[in-house]
Amino acid sequence: MFRISVTVCGRGISKRLASSFSGEDALPSNLRIPSNLVDRARAERPPPPSDSSLPVLRRCDAAVPVHLSPVQTWVETLERRDSKQLGLVDLHPDVFAVPTRIDILHEVELWQRNFKRISRAHTKVRSEVRGGGKKPWRQKGSGKARHGSIRSPIWRGGGVSHGPRGPTSFYYMLPMRVRVQGLKIALSSKLAQDYLHVVDTLNIPTPDPQYLMDLIRYRHWGESVLIVDVGEELPENILQATESLKTVNVIPAIGLNVHSMLKHEVLVLTLEAVKFLENKLLWHDERFTLLYPFKLPYTDLP
Amino acid sequence: MSFTRKPGGKALDILQNLPRISLANLRPEPGTKKAEKKRGRGQHGGNRSGRGHKGERQRGNRPRLGFEGGQTPFYLAIPKYGYNEGHSRRAQYQPLTLNRLQYLIDLGRVDPTQPIDLTQLVNGRGVTIQPQKRDYGVQLVGEGAGIFAAKVNIEVQMASEEAIAAIERNGGMVTTGFYDPRSLAVLCKPVPFFISGQPIPKRMLPGEDMVPYYTDAANRGYLADPEKIQKARIALAQKYGYILPDISKDELFHMLSMIKDPRQIFFGLSPGWVVNMAEKKILKPTDDKLLQYYSS
Repeated sequence: MFRISVTVCGRGISKRLASSFSGEDALPSNLRIPSNLVDRARAERPPPPSDSSLPVLRRCDAAVPVHLSPVQTWVETLERRDSKQLGLVDLHPDVFAVPTRIDILHEVELWQRNFKRISRAHTKVRSEVRGGGKKPWRQKGSGKARHGSIRSPIWRGGGVSHGPRGPTSFYYMLPMRVRVQGLKIALSSKLAQDYLHVVDTLNIPTPDPQYLMDLIRYRHWGESVLIVDVGEELPENILQATESLKTVNVIPAIGLNVHSMLKHEVLVLTLEAVKFLENKLLWHDERFTLLYPFKLPYTDLP
Repeated sequence: MSFTRKPGGKALDILQNLPRISLANLRPEPGTKKAEKKRGRGQHGGNRSGRGHKGERQRGNRPRLGFEGGQTPFYLAIPKYGYNEGHSRRAQYQPLTLNRLQYLIDLGRVDPTQPIDLTQLVNGRGVTIQPQKRDYGVQLVGEGAGIFAAKVNIEVQMASEEAIAAIERNGGMVTTGFYDPRSLAVLCKPVPFFISGQPIPKRMLPGEDMVPYYTDAANRGYLADPEKIQKARIALAQKYGYILPDISKDELFHMLSMIKDPRQIFFGLSPGWVVNMAEKKILKPTDDKLLQYYSS
């Protein structure tokens, strides 16, 4: 959570926001922050270098639409704790600068939680409870209430009328394009809020987890970091370093998902991961409807 | 417009000053999630729980749907007649209008410089064929004959006279060919079939009822006599009042005159061949019996 500190930073925010939402009630309750509440890590992160002489290391592979321009961010390196930026990288706007839709992120997050859920709660109905076939006492004359079975739901020890019945599956699939859009929105919001860092490779000098923690603390990245790379084999050092760490995790690019991105504060992508993600996520913008299952190979022609 | 808009617009600018989007900040669009109605709970859902007052309604003992209190119900009073008898066993042909065909050619989804086949139409997502649901192919329908202006070599399963006239007026060629259900499935979705590793089957000939259709030159059937087809083209031109263009002098004459063998499913591939997509190789049978079977 944010650490409270009395600073000047946040004072102007509420005024600026009030003016942009003119006329109606401003922000929902979970977005209204007190003006003296600040994210220390974000405030302490070093400001960007004022000279723009850094070379652009990577341009977008796919064609950028004419009315948009690529967004840029710095490329860093994990080799040394205090190294400077190596250069700039162009990111495709249709992947890294899409308009934010929190409701799509919400839908995708709910889907990720629920589609794998199988609830194994199971209660016995009155016919399944052991016993209860015989009428407990005669219908009339005993002075007691009339009953037909000792396992009816009214009775103690009887069956449950409307309880959970057997393994229930909550499987459903969101349309493919909604899930793809969720990934794009998550990436865009990370970039817009300064929580995305691009790194050239994941080669670190030591497999020591302390080195990574020092690096993250020195660069004021944040509390939890998700590192993404492409390929089946990741460098040994980074795997060993993150194995014992709880808040720093490495995943392959095919494992990127909205839940992990939102759970970790900071997202670190390698250049190959950026290329892979752009390639995969942009394909869905210009494809025809799928004729046969997605698992089978598709050429770029429909 | 040469003005370049900033990607993401003002939304991403505002986002820079808002708290981090995390699992705690997500919520659905207001108004999308309506609270479920719970029967038997609360002032409005409770009491009789929406069942009404006494009687069969409240006690759940209403008679079956269609019962009219003893009067002969509607569904028994009306006599039977076989309007829909065997409807699920009838052949269906998905209509393809000339409007739609022109639209596909204009957008570049179907290439008129190559013979247009059902595979090309499905690849361009022009028609949706379900071979499992008794679809036997596509039928060419004459709607849009007035605006159709493309020279194509098209192969369909049925064609109306107007459609044939419109295509031939523009210098194209129409052929109608029969595909049995298995060949149709192979034709519509070739990639899953090639991946399955089976040899390309030979197309079966039409059944008794469809043979007269496909041997008739007026329908441009693939089993009809080529000379009779030529005569039918001239006759149709006279009937509809246009001059039949001479295709043999056309530069695309070779492409326009490409017709499939009655046993062939794909242009350029014979029955019996196995296509290996992963290694991009074609395997042909060498055994005598197989060659005899596939060339019969």
